Amino acid sequence: MGALVLALTALGLSLVFGVMRIVNVAHGEFFMLGAIVAWYVSTLTGSFLLALLVAPVAVAGVAVLADRFVLRRIGYEPESTIVATIGLLYILQQTVLTTYGPYARPVEAPVYFRVDFPWFGYSGYKLVVAGVAAVLLLVTWMALSRTTLGLQMRATQQDREMAQAFAVPVGRVYTVVFGVGAGLAAAAGALIVPVQQAHYLMGLDALLMSFVVVILGGLGSLRGTLVAAFVVGLSDGAISVLFSPTLAKIVATLLVALVLAVRGRGLFGEELA
Amino acid sequence: MTPLLETRALSKRFGGLEAVSAVDFSLDRGEVRALIGPNGAGKTTLVSLISGRLGPTSGRVLFAGRDITGLGPWDRANLGIVYTFQITSIYRSLSVFDNVALAAQRRRLRRLADWVALDRAAVAADVEAALDTAGLGGLRDQQAGALAYGHQRALEVAMAMALKPELLILDEPTQGLAPEDIEALCRLVRDLARVATVLLIEHNMEVVLELASRVTVMDAGRIIAEGTPREIEAHPEVQRAYLGR
Amino acid sequence: MTDDRRGLALGLHLGVLALLGALQLVLPPFHHGMVARVMVLAAYAVGYNVLLGYTGLMSLGHAMFFAAGMYGTGLTIQHWGFGAGAGFLAGIVAGLAVAAAVGLVTLRTAGPAFLIVTMMLAQAFNLATLYFNDVTGGDQGFILSGLGLDLFGVRLAFADPAVKYNAALVVFAACLLLSFWLTGSPAGRVLLALKENEERTRLLGYNTVRCRLFAVVVSGLLSAVAGSTYTLLFSYVGSTFGGILYSIYPLLWTLLGGAGTTLGPLVGTLVMTYFVDVASAITTGYLIVVGAALIVMVLWAPAGIVGGIRVRWAPWLP
Repeated sequence: MGALVLALTALGLSLVFGVMRIVNVAHGEFFMLGAIVAWYVSTLTGSFLLALLVAPVAVAGVAVLADRFVLRRIGYEPESTIVATIGLLYILQQTVLTTYGPYARPVEAPVYFRVDFPWFGYSGYKLVVAGVAAVLLLVTWMALSRTTLGLQMRATQQDREMAQAFAVPVGRVYTVVFGVGAGLAAAAGALIVPVQQAHYLMGLDALLMSFVVVILGGLGSLRGTLVAAFVVGLSDGAISVLFSPTLAKIVATLLVALVLAVRGRGLFGEELA
Repeated sequence: MTPLLETRALSKRFGGLEAVSAVDFSLDRGEVRALIGPNGAGKTTLVSLISGRLGPTSGRVLFAGRDITGLGPWDRANLGIVYTFQITSIYRSLSVFDNVALAAQRRRLRRLADWVALDRAAVAADVEAALDTAGLGGLRDQQAGALAYGHQRALEVAMAMALKPELLILDEPTQGLAPEDIEALCRLVRDLARVATVLLIEHNMEVVLELASRVTVMDAGRIIAEGTPREIEAHPEVQRAYLGR
Repeated sequence: MTDDRRGLALGLHLGVLALLGALQLVLPPFHHGMVARVMVLAAYAVGYNVLLGYTGLMSLGHAMFFAAGMYGTGLTIQHWGFGAGAGFLAGIVAGLAVAAAVGLVTLRTAGPAFLIVTMMLAQAFNLATLYFNDVTGGDQGFILSGLGLDLFGVRLAFADPAVKYNAALVVFAACLLLSFWLTGSPAGRVLLALKENEERTRLLGYNTVRCRLFAVVVSGLLSAVAGSTYTLLFSYVGSTFGGILYSIYPLLWTLLGGAGTTLGPLVGTLVMTYFVDVASAITTGYLIVVGAALIVMVLWAPAGIVGGIRVRWAPWLP
């Protein structure tokens, strides 16, 4: 996974973590679902651009439904929420398995060109992916720092009761954040399909790597998420090439476990943007 | 005679705020000492440093002449320093019996083997005794969270008694109690004072005057006066800082 | 709890075990094998319940304890020629070592942080078994054969269904009775206290750090015992059992049966194993019942089956 795509996925998780104070174990499945929807749309209509637009919106819709009918009803109680999102994980994953099937299917890249440097070549689509991801990150950042909704999110993150007292519609903010978080993951999933293929089990890796990035980068911190995504993305790539992808994942998960173990209870503590 | 408890230049900083600043405090065996002062004076912080809930920024705590600054709260509890919470802190989902049994069994779990072969009958007897003294005799099988507020406070004290404290720290025990419950609690504390040294944080001056043999006054993290209740009542600085006269 | 109620509860537990023992006489072969498997997995859930139900820590990495028992037993038998008994011990030692290490690493975490750390550690453990696939067999795993015990000159082959069933019953009974004993012991009382209010428990004189470590080790140990038993009785070792699904299963079984009840893990495992079995005959996406069960429980039955019975009819259930 490219560093910017990883950053996009992780940002979604970080938003949900930071504002709603919940651990969304189904986040990886939103990523997967984004890829699957993108495959369907681009196969049916032949337009990958349309797929890129539809996937995040459709997945955000699924997330909003899950928020309304499950998470809100259990009051976002931390442990119940974790259990509920594990349930959601299996429902999404197994639904895709029964409908889409156990296949790994690619979408043709919408652009064909290679950028050739003297010592190595680079597929043009990967640059497009990086570009789109960067734009999405920028837009999210602008939305968080410049809009009323962004302000409400930050207020809710800082102090839920206080935000409520200042007439922030916390319930609606939660729904929007959960939807946007899922939408970001889905956008990342859709972007990656031409490079990686869509498969019903691709969510777990995305989830674990997002956890790694979010925990190393600090919760709810956009800058931290970006920096961590680059460090994790590049070192993951380097170790994968030099040794093995499995070893890279072992190192990343162990590292994160130790960081979190040392930092202890300070999981929910950092500021947004 | 060595005092039971002594603090030397004890300080605690929270960020920029010095909640307790260089406090030298000493308490003799057998006293009932009241600790008074306005809100934010550092009373709860001071007793937290003594019970080990908080670690000090600097300074030392001595118990019966022994330096206990480095000991964890559980070790201090086992030495006999027992703290009861300002906010009622019982195990709401457990029965009244289990609440007190948690305290009573602790003294009988000295060695690892005790965990396997605990003398249950002895623990049960200790529990019954503590419940009877606290006036909770008939409520042993009730769930603690379902008790009336006054009974919850009494349960808190019963847990403290079952630990057989040397030094009992009571953090605002009468807060929120009805007058008749306050009277019952005062009786209880007087009973306790026969076997333990008591350090009492209290806002209710009537309770202070009735129970305390000596009074210590804190303000802004420092001790500003100390003496018999009568001396303290007359102390000009105390009247200004605290009694508001 | 008063002593006569405790006696009643003990009677119930012994009755359940006797029922399980008697069932083997009437069950048709398929269900005979199913129930044997359920008992081993229920032992795993009993271990999980010690941590979730009685200490209040939700782990998402218990598969590493199960797998530690599995690999500790399987690898020593496969590579070093250990017998079943020695292999079983090796599984227990491996489980203890992993549980102690995890307990120490996670000491300062609670709530979601504990969950994520255990998930990450289990993932690292699982990936490691894939990485060293020349030793562990990785995904494919390996099959053991000819396992059995010589007891008083009688050869008990684990391939024999009756031996399998009764061995599973013995292991499950040991785990269940240990957990029953724990609930009535001073240590169990302290764990419940820890679950409800850690700071209060510290000030009652308990070293809560050590108590937590104890809970993680006991929970990990029981899980490893189950993993080791699974290897011995079903002759298979593979990395699937260390994957995230096998960390989620005991959570599901425990919640479904009722976290914090001694019999809940058995009930939950039994019900869910049959559910999954029925669903797998209908669809390839049969794990959807896992997801559906989790959500249904969270919304409508947070106390689980035995937990609900306790609330409504039998408050004396441990």
